[in-house]
Amino acid sequence: MTMQQRVLFDRLTTVHRPDCAFFADGPLPVPVAGPDDLAPQLGSDAVARYAEACRPVFEDLRRVIGQLAGLMILAQLTRSSEVAGLDELASCRRRWAEAGERIEALTGPDPLAPHRAQIVAAHAFSGLALRTFSELRPRADNEAAFDTISRHVRRAYAHLSAATAEKAGLAMVDLSHACCSCGR
Amino acid sequence: MSDYSIWVCEYSYVKNYHKSGVLYGAHNQGFVKLPYCYVVIKGRDHVAMVDVGYSDKDYGKVLGDRFGVENWRNPTTVLAEIGVKPEEVDTCFITHAHFDHFGNVEDFPNAKFYIQEREIAKWVWAMSLPDRLRWMMVAVDPGDIVRGADLARQKRLVTVNGAVSDVLPGIDLHAADDSHTWGSMWVTVRNDGKTASQDSWVLAGDLVYVFENIHGPGAAVDEKEVYTPVGLAVGSQANLVLATEAMMKQVNYDSHRVIPVHEERLRDTFPSRITREGLRITEICLADGETSKVSA
Repeated sequence: MTMQQRVLFDRLTTVHRPDCAFFADGPLPVPVAGPDDLAPQLGSDAVARYAEACRPVFEDLRRVIGQLAGLMILAQLTRSSEVAGLDELASCRRRWAEAGERIEALTGPDPLAPHRAQIVAAHAFSGLALRTFSELRPRADNEAAFDTISRHVRRAYAHLSAATAEKAGLAMVDLSHACCSCGR
Repeated sequence: MSDYSIWVCEYSYVKNYHKSGVLYGAHNQGFVKLPYCYVVIKGRDHVAMVDVGYSDKDYGKVLGDRFGVENWRNPTTVLAEIGVKPEEVDTCFITHAHFDHFGNVEDFPNAKFYIQEREIAKWVWAMSLPDRLRWMMVAVDPGDIVRGADLARQKRLVTVNGAVSDVLPGIDLHAADDSHTWGSMWVTVRNDGKTASQDSWVLAGDLVYVFENIHGPGAAVDEKEVYTPVGLAVGSQANLVLATEAMMKQVNYDSHRVIPVHEERLRDTFPSRITREGLRITEICLADGETSKVSA
């Protein structure tokens, strides 16, 4: 990891304010060239190494984002702040932290930097959503916190979607047993 | 007297789906066409849907390239065949959170969505499990849950816990826990509005894929026919069989009234037509005063 990347990583993973302008000014969640696109140009070995290292990060974030969205739904609809104490949220925190460690070790050829930046941003925004759960208060409407969680989760999902690369195994839906012709 | 019209609207299909996916134990028995459909229920001043399909924008290329899903059409095009606009839909019942049922909420901007609370809670749980247990979270897109969260913020998501009667007049929701998915549900339309209805229709979601799930081969147990569950279940096949029995009981064991939306042969048992887009509209029943959308 370069010094610049290290600084970026530290900022993204240690800044806790949900309204931090840094994130709003971060990369736009738009599709970027990923392993699928860059393999012909960069060579399959270098790209494959990056994709292999990226897959578990992508999977971690896919799950973290899904969990956060689901927990927010349950918290809002049950008007309960107890979600913040659930094992599922603790597990979500662990997975998010593991993803952060994996991102730190994730390196690749320079043209893949925009792809990595989308992954970093997805991690950062899901972290902001995760931390906002601690703001839920008993017997309060918590509307502001829910709005914040929802906004960050949506942004995290948009960044992760921008980093989708089907051939590299970075896919949003695991279709291996889905209602389609997966058995072919 | 019939309160509601019901149509099954095909919005895409897979030409060759392995039969063992739709029928438990049907190994090496080839392939069947698997239509992707949603259901429209219209009447009593409501337009409701059972499931909303998926968004081609999000999944189309993947499904087309990898799995042979063909001919996706958006709800505006599909629903126009029965004279309905997506923005007229006020209620959507989501039978389960698989992407091809819950993956297109954005196209129904004025609808309130109903889903089993357990379906959300258990997917959250499944996503929290170690990677070695990942099988339990297949076919769910976190994006759909994210969009569900948006619906919740807009007060347009209602989670229900178990069975609920008269969500709309004469329309009930029933849970089938730990079956096809963790919190699957089916929708029952009591079309005469009576509590002990003699005119009920069961919209089965993915609890029944094809007719053989109800009239399955029974030779192995010395029966002419037995319920044979669908092949895909994150819960259990036993729970699918029990859900089938509960659905059949609601229609007084008239299997014609349990509607499997992935069943291509609905065209042979109900009035149907193929649209200009090559998709099927099947008319299950018509409300009083409604005109057919499948006959010339």
